[in-house]
Amino acid sequence: MGAQLANILIIEDDMTLSGQLSQLLQRGGYAIDCQREGLAGLQVALTSSPDLVLLDVKLPGLNGFSVLKRLRAVKQTPVIMLTACGAEEERIRGLRHGADDYLAKPFSLEELQLRIDAVLRRSRPPLGVREGEAEHLSAGALHLDRLQQQALVGGVALDLTAIQFRLLWQLLAQRGEVLSKPYLYRMVLDREFSRYDRSLDMHISRIRRRLTEFGLADPVQTMHGRGYLFT
Amino acid sequence: MNRRLWWKLCATLVAGMLALFWVISHLTWETEEAMSFIAESHQRTLRSYGAQAEALYSAGNERALSRWLLSVQEQEDTWAAVIQSDLTPIAGSTFSPRFVDGFGLGRDVSWKIHLYFKENPTIDLPFSDGRTHFVIQLPERMRPGYYWTSSSMLLQVVLPFSVLLLICLLLYRHLMHPLRRLEQATRRFSGGDYSARVGPTLGARKDELAGLARAFDSMAEHTEELIQHQRQRLSDMSHELRTPLTRIEMAVSLAEQQEGDQRLLDRIRSECNGMRQLVEDALTLSWLENETPMLRDENLDLTELIDSIVDDARFEYPEHRLNLQLPASAQLGHSSHRALGQAIENIVRNALDHTPLGGTVCISLQQRAQSWLLSVTDQGRGVPGDLLERIFQPFFRVPAGPGEERSGFGLGLALARRQVQATGGSLSARNAAGGGLVIDIRLPREELET
Repeated sequence: MGAQLANILIIEDDMTLSGQLSQLLQRGGYAIDCQREGLAGLQVALTSSPDLVLLDVKLPGLNGFSVLKRLRAVKQTPVIMLTACGAEEERIRGLRHGADDYLAKPFSLEELQLRIDAVLRRSRPPLGVREGEAEHLSAGALHLDRLQQQALVGGVALDLTAIQFRLLWQLLAQRGEVLSKPYLYRMVLDREFSRYDRSLDMHISRIRRRLTEFGLADPVQTMHGRGYLFT
Repeated sequence: MNRRLWWKLCATLVAGMLALFWVISHLTWETEEAMSFIAESHQRTLRSYGAQAEALYSAGNERALSRWLLSVQEQEDTWAAVIQSDLTPIAGSTFSPRFVDGFGLGRDVSWKIHLYFKENPTIDLPFSDGRTHFVIQLPERMRPGYYWTSSSMLLQVVLPFSVLLLICLLLYRHLMHPLRRLEQATRRFSGGDYSARVGPTLGARKDELAGLARAFDSMAEHTEELIQHQRQRLSDMSHELRTPLTRIEMAVSLAEQQEGDQRLLDRIRSECNGMRQLVEDALTLSWLENETPMLRDENLDLTELIDSIVDDARFEYPEHRLNLQLPASAQLGHSSHRALGQAIENIVRNALDHTPLGGTVCISLQQRAQSWLLSVTDQGRGVPGDLLERIFQPFFRVPAGPGEERSGFGLGLALARRQVQATGGSLSARNAAGGGLVIDIRLPREELET
């Protein structure tokens, strides 16, 4: 891989868009190859083994879905499809096809960057399981027991689900650090963050309600646009 | 089912044909009857022949009678004779008076002739003695029914032909009239005249073809509405995109003059985000409208969802107050937190946009027998009663009051309604007692999904 973070193949017929994309991604440290047509793109994907393919759905000649199908018959190269549907429609339709992720046009560079990072991380062997992690954490009257999967306030158990406990544990374990939503989604919910997904926010809201029921001041701060912070 | 056309055809064809057959047969019979008798003048001639023969016979002048018979035969080109009949019953049989009275060697002059026999009949003119007869084969010139062949042709071919032709013509016109109107309307419609309708041109007609016309009209109505709707949507979208595009162009021009001004770049980015949001919303809206998907595959807690939305809203609108009335927990089954979250977010944002700075937006969630009722109340000007339903149309604008900057609803409420409907709920608007607009979201409380 050399000095590059990863090799990315862009198969997109809009030359302006793919030119700008490759400029921006090259600045981000990726090596980029651009292809305009489905068939040519497929050949490059098969021969040069990129780490990731950004694949447009509407392509001259062979369309994106056919390219994906033929690629999948041979290789498991991670693919992010670029579609022109709305986000929710694309998410629901995406479940049926074999792409690793979907991104609806128009998208922002930040969003694309997040998806690329996430897909690349998933496709690479996981880092070793963290060892030597504490079994207990506490902050003031709040006490977390990892083995029992219980949160206690003054010896009384808080009614939290397993996910909510893991979320609170993660926040407390990295107390004082702002934890981003994509990070928390990966660590706690085992999936990638996508737009309009409020699952994490809803769990945070439940944790806050449980804590304030016990008369604790809300220790979880929302850092808008950045993530959550346990103070 | 309406079967007017069937009954019309029955009446015309079955009853009409029966009447036609009867009239033809009756007329034919009557005409043949009338044409079968020997003309009055010929009858007189024949009778006078009889009288002359009798006179010659009574005078006993047989040679004169013979000469006269020859002259008559020559003159009429036929056969004539004076014959004596001598009837003798044998083997003990007797005469009946009726037989003797009615006995003749040929037909009486007043009887009708069978026109279907080619041979002319023999006419018998009995003398007064009862046993002598002047008999003559009917001369050709006296044969009745001279016009019979042409008359029967007329009655049996020309008459039914004309009547049937007329019936066909009437039926054809009756069937083709609405079909032609339909054809004309279809041509006009495909030529771009979306107001073309068939119904009004057919008057009070109510048969199956009128049914077809009604179906066409309702299709045309629907299509016209759809096309107008799409045109309106396209023009609204272009209009909405033109504003941020103009701002971006201005910012780019300014940035070219003042190199590297971060605020201008920020403005360009924020306008781009606005446009991106608009396009994304428009795509989602048309997806929800075209495919009407059901988004009902998860359970969620409404309190948690509203909490998280309010958390964001408080950050985005620090100058406004948000007043919450939520139960500690509000379980909702068969829903979608993405669709519902986006809908509620749009409604809350809309309420905050229409509430003056420092004002309060109230959000209350109440449990009803079958549903959850979420009400979002703003402190804006409200919406005139007759426009309440129209704020759910894309890009609807309430006529702006003096000094007001923003009064449009964009796509937010239109999208919110479709999203709430996709999760099985409903969305309505009303004006609050103390002014301001209330949006009510009703969500069915169903069994939780396991």
